[in-house]
Amino acid sequence: MLEDVTKSYRTHLGDRQVLHGINASFGPGEKVGILGRNGAGKTTLLRVIAGVEFPTTGRVDRRMSVSWPLGFAGAMHYSMTGADNARFIARIYAKPIEETVEFVRDFADLGDYFRLPVKTYSSGMVVRLGFALSLAVDFDCYLVDEAIAVGDTRFADRYRDALLERQARSALLLVSHIPDVVRSYCSSAAILEHGRLTRYEDLDEAIAVYQSA
Amino acid sequence: MQGVSDTAEPNVRLPDLLRLQLRVIGALTLREMSGRYGKENLGYLWLFGEPLLLGSAIGLVHAITGHEMPGGVSPVHFMVTGYIVFYLLRGIVNRAPTAIVGTQSLLYHRCITLLDIMISKNLLDLAATTFVMLLFIGLWGMATGQWPANLELVVVAMAVMALLSHGLSLLIAAGSVFTEVFERVTHLIVYLTMGFTGFLYMVFWLPTEMQHAALWIPTVHVYEMIRHGLYGLQVPTYYDPLYLAGWVLGLNLFGMAALRRARRDLVI
Repeated sequence: MLEDVTKSYRTHLGDRQVLHGINASFGPGEKVGILGRNGAGKTTLLRVIAGVEFPTTGRVDRRMSVSWPLGFAGAMHYSMTGADNARFIARIYAKPIEETVEFVRDFADLGDYFRLPVKTYSSGMVVRLGFALSLAVDFDCYLVDEAIAVGDTRFADRYRDALLERQARSALLLVSHIPDVVRSYCSSAAILEHGRLTRYEDLDEAIAVYQSA
Repeated sequence: MQGVSDTAEPNVRLPDLLRLQLRVIGALTLREMSGRYGKENLGYLWLFGEPLLLGSAIGLVHAITGHEMPGGVSPVHFMVTGYIVFYLLRGIVNRAPTAIVGTQSLLYHRCITLLDIMISKNLLDLAATTFVMLLFIGLWGMATGQWPANLELVVVAMAVMALLSHGLSLLIAAGSVFTEVFERVTHLIVYLTMGFTGFLYMVFWLPTEMQHAALWIPTVHVYEMIRHGLYGLQVPTYYDPLYLAGWVLGLNLFGMAALRRARRDLVI
């Protein structure tokens, strides 16, 4: 749940406000797509929801366990192997270590690379590892930043199935500038424009508005 | 000026919270250990090899040049033990300006706080240097038959040094979020103030008025405490545990407050 959330960044050109008073609430099991053009503040919004960055004003109230923002970067150690990353995640989230490593190895499907440092991975592989790690932790709400489009289709399908499997309990917030991505994962959508968020119950309506803008 | 805060996970009680932080610090320490010393077994050797080599080298120079120490203390012993303690201070403080930048990706995990990161790094420094200290004391004792008067006091004093350095490192780390100044001057200042820390002298060597001045410096108290533990009554020592406790408390409280403030503005 977000209340009057704003976020500005200090730059040499003065303060830049990215989010202008966001009010929204996302419930368990909801699959919401957030559409926005480049620079609309999608990534910033996701970071604030995840608690990676703090809102400048306003408040974020999390009643579910919320994942870190799943995207191209962050959350893992590039000098550590995929397996060591899995062990680290298992430790900080209090999951059984061996099971977690096994799950991540099978789900990410990285082959021998699982035993090599993450810095040797291709970007698609990094994304796969990130998703596998987050599924191993088993959050109530997953935050996904574009990235799902990068994994190959086979992986994307597997990920979608994994999310569908936990349909009832896992919520999904997916930000993207591509309507088709939102359509294939989400049941409703919102548009982020000029730092404000507008929600639409009807997915098609949201996409129509987004495309006509 | 800044608005309301952000709430943590629901229904978390204090004991659970503490358990969570301990778990996180444990995992971070393991990670830091393999990152710093590598996974090969030889990597762990550096944990104690580095301060031991440097300390011995300094001690050796003193032994060769034939400096006599007041109170009949061995110059090699004095310099090596002093250096190990300085190594602890320097390691923690010098890393502080880049401590946050280097580990930002950790902050993607909400359960990891800046304080956890700092504690895990600094704890490892304390563990490594304490181990080296004990190793040196053991080797020295076996070689010369001279054992510390009060080993516990030495260990406690090292923990106090770690706490002082930790508090200071929190302030520097928090400041580094706002300005690059700390990154530029910290190493220089640590180097320039080395002579004042108490590493190279004891209070009783000084004339009375300088003794008073020296005892304003908290690290001087730590060094006196360590030498009290090492040499017992062979040398006179001056330190005030309450004065040290005040510094530890002050630095850490301000440090934690600063870190909390810095976290709000941190761009990851």
